Amino acid sequence: MKYFVIGDEEAVLGFGLVGIQGLKAESPREAEAAFKAALEDKNIGIIIIEDKVADMIRPVVDKYIFTEQFPLIVEVPGRVGKDPQRPSIRAMVNDAIGIKL
Amino acid sequence: MRNVAPTKSNMISLKNELKFAKLGHELLDQKRNILVLELLNLVEQAVDHEEKVERALAEAYRTLEYAVLDMGKLKLYQVASAINIESNLKISQRKIMGVPLPVVDTTFEDYPPYYSLMGTSFWTDNSLGEFKAVVKVMGKLAELKISIMRLAKEVKKTIKKVNALEKIAIPDLQETVKYIENRLEENERDMVILLKMTKQRLEKKRLEISNLN
Repeated sequence: MKYFVIGDEEAVLGFGLVGIQGLKAESPREAEAAFKAALEDKNIGIIIIEDKVADMIRPVVDKYIFTEQFPLIVEVPGRVGKDPQRPSIRAMVNDAIGIKL
Repeated sequence: MRNVAPTKSNMISLKNELKFAKLGHELLDQKRNILVLELLNLVEQAVDHEEKVERALAEAYRTLEYAVLDMGKLKLYQVASAINIESNLKISQRKIMGVPLPVVDTTFEDYPPYYSLMGTSFWTDNSLGEFKAVVKVMGKLAELKISIMRLAKEVKKTIKKVNALEKIAIPDLQETVKYIENRLEENERDMVILLKMTKQRLEKKRLEISNLN
């Protein structure tokens, strides 16, 4: 199995250095196309997706995270660093199950 | 309360149902506790790994930027396409209380030297190393994040079930059983009175007959 990256040009280039293929996505349409392409390749095990790209196609991404076994999807901050507005994992879990951890 | 005829057989079956519901509640409660514990554990690890990935990624982008500045994007693309590293991913599964969770194992197959040392910048090497480090922790992070999502969903479902049993099904059954019990007792008392009245009447009749004789 392989990794696949969807993000801006820098992300694709950077991960390209370690032999990970990727597609550039800067608009929702591009993001959707890239995501679809990644899902079609059965050899891809983990999709690394930049968080602002994931936000463009949030419903599609969330659906895959929660229902499908493969591929795994992981969101990472982009070149500009982490958005402080973004909820942490802990907050996300609290939201999801409505209990405080 | 359920709408059932107040008979003994109904009461027995309802009592069995109640026992079953209580057992189910207990088991689900245990399941919930186990899941929450596991979830806590995973969240702890995930927060840790997320920080690691963020730090590594920031560093990786920083070095990449220098590499780009040094050599130009086009050249770097050329170099990148020549690099012969294969990141292999093995995804297996483990199960916690019936929830399938992924386990990720990343290995690299690389065949250095990747590119000519002539005309490539020191930052390229640096950036390559950094990105490799990122990918190494990334696999683990993906595993943890997905596990957390799935576990959280399962916990939510379990909590719903527990609450439904605790707040609705069990009280409902208890109430019904109690109602039937009351009705049966009432019937019994009625019967006793009835018997007593019949007995009195019979006695009266007998007395009359003996008087006539």
